[in-house]
Amino acid sequence: MDSSREPEAGQAALKEALDRMWIKFLPQIKERVAVLEAAAAAFAANRLSAEERAAAHGAAHKLAGTLGTFGLDEGTILAREAEVLYADTCGHDPVSAARLIEIASRLRTIIESRM
Amino acid sequence: MARRILIIDDEDDIREVAALSLETVAGWEVETASSGALGLARAIEYQPDAVLLDVMMPGMDGPTTFRELRKNPATSHIPVLLLTAKVQSSDQRRFADLGVEAILFKPFDPLTLGTQIADVLGWE
Repeated sequence: MDSSREPEAGQAALKEALDRMWIKFLPQIKERVAVLEAAAAAFAANRLSAEERAAAHGAAHKLAGTLGTFGLDEGTILAREAEVLYADTCGHDPVSAARLIEIASRLRTIIESRM
Repeated sequence: MARRILIIDDEDDIREVAALSLETVAGWEVETASSGALGLARAIEYQPDAVLLDVMMPGMDGPTTFRELRKNPATSHIPVLLLTAKVQSSDQRRFADLGVEAILFKPFDPLTLGTQIADVLGWE
């Protein structure tokens, strides 16, 4: 590590820059949540296509990797749960569908509360 | 002298936050690439002190990119750390078997990413 840098100044600059990046990437993050919302609704209606499932699995994976980096640890935990559900659940499963709707809704709340 | 890191990740948010963290907090020089193929070319030119490599990328994924880095005499000596959001132990074993220096997990803490890398690589 470069010991000539002031750690506190670096941390403050990082926090500020992270807030700017959050604003920059928010549309992309919201789009991923929208994918999860649409997939969960389709799953509940028993009309989730393989493409929608793959897109939802990918969106959940990306959110799991990103949200905690912006300090939203609960978001990462929920997105990871959705990723597992989309990977493991086959056929119509009303219990999983209800949980996926709940997760998508909670993710939206978490994301909007950081703004 | 500042360390030089190459970040290879297709997700622009992760790539930019990791770069920001390593530049701002650790004070390192950072280059980025958005795909395995671009990363290979950049690694040859830039000769970084380490590569931070995403696992899941379209086209050439992380493990394939790692094997290509190892095959090429111009990059075979560069330490590689995998960055993944996969937390299942079967995935972790598979990645560890590749022979990478370390596996780091997403989400990472931007405040401590540099320290994590430095610790793994034994950097002061």
